[in-house]
Amino acid sequence: MRTERYLPYALIAPSVLFLLFFFAWPLLEALLLSVRGGGGGWTLENFQRMAADLYFKDALKYTLLLALVVVPLQVVLALGMAMLLGGLSRGRDLFLYVWTIPLGISDLAAGIVWLAIFTERGYLNSLLQALGLIEQPQLWLSYETPWMIFLAVVAAEVWRATAIVFVILVAGLQLIPKEYSEAAEVFGATPWQRFWRVTLPLLKPSLQVALILRTILALEVFAVVVALGGRNLPVLAGEAYYWYNAYQNPGVAAAYAVVVLGISVLATLVYLRLMRPRQEEAA
Amino acid sequence: MNLRRLYMVLAVLLVVWVLLPIFLIATLAFSDRPSVFAWPKGLLPQQFSLETISFFFGVEGVWRAIRNSLAVAAMTLVFSVLLGAPAGYALARYRFAGADAYRLLILMTRAFPLAILAIPLAVRFIQLGIYDTLLGVALVHTALALPFAVLVTSSLFLSIPKELEEAAWTLGCNRLQAFLRVVLPLALPGLAATAIFAFVISWNEVFAATLLTLRERTLPAFLLTSLNDSPLPFRFAGGFFLIVPALVFIFVIRRYLFTLWGIASR
Amino acid sequence: MASIRVENVEKTFGRFKALNGVSLEVRDQEFVVLLGPSGCGKTTLLRIIAGLEQADKGRVWIGDRDVTLLPPRARRIAMVFQNYAVFPHLTVYENIAFGLRMQKVSPEKLKANVERAAALMHIENLLGRYPAQLSGGQRQRVAVARALAVEPEVLLMDEPLSNLDALLRLEMRAELKRLLAESRTTTLYVTHDQVEAMSLADRIAVMNAGAIVQYDTPMRVYQEPASVFVGGFIGSPPMNFLRLRVEGQRVRLGSLDLEPPAEVGAEVLLGVRPEDLEVYPAEQPQSFAAQVLVVEPLGPHLLLTLNFAGQAFKATVPPDFPAAAGQTLWLRPQPSRLRWLEPGSGRAFATG
Ligand SMILES: Nc1ncnc2c1ncn2[C@@H]1O[C@H](COP(=O)(O)OP(=O)(O)OP(=O)(O)O)[C@@H](O)[C@H]1O
Ligand SMILES: [Mg+2]
Repeated sequence: MRTERYLPYALIAPSVLFLLFFFAWPLLEALLLSVRGGGGGWTLENFQRMAADLYFKDALKYTLLLALVVVPLQVVLALGMAMLLGGLSRGRDLFLYVWTIPLGISDLAAGIVWLAIFTERGYLNSLLQALGLIEQPQLWLSYETPWMIFLAVVAAEVWRATAIVFVILVAGLQLIPKEYSEAAEVFGATPWQRFWRVTLPLLKPSLQVALILRTILALEVFAVVVALGGRNLPVLAGEAYYWYNAYQNPGVAAAYAVVVLGISVLATLVYLRLMRPRQEEAA
Repeated sequence: MNLRRLYMVLAVLLVVWVLLPIFLIATLAFSDRPSVFAWPKGLLPQQFSLETISFFFGVEGVWRAIRNSLAVAAMTLVFSVLLGAPAGYALARYRFAGADAYRLLILMTRAFPLAILAIPLAVRFIQLGIYDTLLGVALVHTALALPFAVLVTSSLFLSIPKELEEAAWTLGCNRLQAFLRVVLPLALPGLAATAIFAFVISWNEVFAATLLTLRERTLPAFLLTSLNDSPLPFRFAGGFFLIVPALVFIFVIRRYLFTLWGIASR
Repeated sequence: MASIRVENVEKTFGRFKALNGVSLEVRDQEFVVLLGPSGCGKTTLLRIIAGLEQADKGRVWIGDRDVTLLPPRARRIAMVFQNYAVFPHLTVYENIAFGLRMQKVSPEKLKANVERAAALMHIENLLGRYPAQLSGGQRQRVAVARALAVEPEVLLMDEPLSNLDALLRLEMRAELKRLLAESRTTTLYVTHDQVEAMSLADRIAVMNAGAIVQYDTPMRVYQEPASVFVGGFIGSPPMNFLRLRVEGQRVRLGSLDLEPPAEVGAEVLLGVRPEDLEVYPAEQPQSFAAQVLVVEPLGPHLLLTLNFAGQAFKATVPPDFPAAAGQTLWLRPQPSRLRWLEPGSGRAFATG
């Protein structure tokens, strides 16, 4: 019976070791790699090379903008879908399933799917032609029209990853006892007021999780962009990939990784601080 | 009543929004070459054909990439369940010093883009001799799936009353027997959902898979690296094929989706 | 079958002392009920005997084996849980057979034991079903059958009837009594329902705040509570306690002249059950007067709340008794049912 006390530690030990080796340690290693020169000494050379690179500014700009545009869109849309689901009288299970289908779709696949729409002889141009807006196929995804690529990426990302936010929010909604909203109704709150004053505040923990998760994932956006625009719309993760693969320079790639990590941690801290539960809610 | 109808219309529109792109890529994947390049395109396929899809499977390296993807996903599945479920069980059943610290470690992994960590790992993997191996990719994918497995299995075990296990003890089981005979059968569907989730995470992951391999490409890695010099039909068929298993898996675990995420977001 | 002996068991959760040196002996084949208010440590004590919890101090014996350090499976006990803990993935048959399979008994014996346990609990027709297809009462029967099937030396039950509705509870109570009288298994039974305790027990151990405060037969616990706590906890309505002055070794209560035990101080508590007060509308010898405050018709009788010298107490009278608030009534306690208690500690004086 005395061994009892050590059992939980024995049970978590393998996963702890694993995470130390494949999470904590590479985190450190990324930092080290980015500040080590070829000779082994400490240096900021990698960061300087990164900053001096033609693509760096654009990559930073587009990555941040993408997160800034995509994440709020997804949250608002998912929130709307979650509320809509509550208002449906029939077929909830079916809608629930269909709306969450994109959850299983990879970013690369999503990029390719939307490539079929935005490509020169794709469905978008076909539609525009059918509406009489254009005569000949338009080239949307070229280096001359980065904003169009940006739009296509936003479309693909919103299509693919709203489902995650939706599922987190619905799960969160299920945990809120109906009585709160009903009590508010008894006291005369309109549906709109109930949403803003009861549901949304109670949903805050789920919103926080969804925001953090989506922001982190948005900051490492990669395959969607590559599928739709190649390097015509540079992003940070993409640059890290090119520096590692094409230029065989792990140091600069690690510098990019450190930048992504830094922004991610910063974003998480900001969310945690902004959405801190108030004292009276902590109960 | 009009409001109800409006809701229904909106809901159906969302369904169209989700399904139409999938329908379109499926259409392309099952058309012949001329229809893929046709302009302007109609919504419906002009001609059903296996030309595109068989062209895709005919490309050198595709079958191998599929095999690799399956192997990596299977390894990820096994690793994350084997490592995650015991930890989930410990979190669910014991109060021990360090449990909170462990939870924090698991939640911390969320604040970092894990796939990016493939960069330092690639360097280390070369030294360890597991660069460009399926095992190496599976290990990184396990790091992605493990936090999930821990949280989900912990809630799973929490939902199985402790009294059932205690009843088994009083009836003559030791800990292991009670787990195998009582807890495991009850946890099995949830464990299967967890496993499938890990499988899908691995099947879909592209960044780390691309960085960590040269010849032993997984399917996403293979597709990504050949995007630039491959014709559209190849890409469309590949994109479609990537989606199919995921669709099936999500369908299978749909009942668990919400418990999965509901708890994972606690 | 075997006896249970608990010696000086202590258990602390964090800084909270749940058991405070508990000793208890259950004789072979005896049916003992642990009775006490919520949170007093009944479940904790039962779980320590079962081996599901480890005592900080003290020893547990089953028969002549010291089982203190043994895991539950080696103690030859069986337990019925409050929420039954019937395995949802096994049929009723497999549930009942579970313990026997663990003991690796022969197939013939397994079948015989399962069938006998099922017959005892009248669930022979449910053997093929899964727990989800059973009602609460049926699940409860399965839980008991599963415990009996292994022929345990000791049967432990933690509020096995508390999840049933009132009517079913009554029925199951009688059935349990019949059953355990038949099987003569040593049983320790936890409840906070005093009626259940009275009806089932050979002896009742009354617990309060992590200690056993009285251990006696049901009638003695009822009639001779060892303390104000026991008298107040058992009985509905509870025992009355009147605080009275002692003058020259006598206590005067109206025209009543009582003799308290020799060792009393200046004041004494007089304990008397409401049903042990005879009530008269007119003055009587050997009685005291009190004003009616409230009259509550309860069906079989009226419950009166009365006021005597600023102290409220209760009495019961037949339903046709003419009583109204404000009225003065005369009460005469049955002299043999009086209980003297010490006001400071609340403990009863030994009766002569
Ligand atoms: N695992 C535990 N951790 C902390 N405190 C506990 C634990 N188990 C029990 N306690 C505390 O010990 C005390 C006794 O608990 P126990 O469950 O034995 O009460 P009980 O008499 O069975 O009550 P009830 O009639 O409500 O079931 C309670 O105050 C309870 O809060
Ligand atoms: Mg209890």
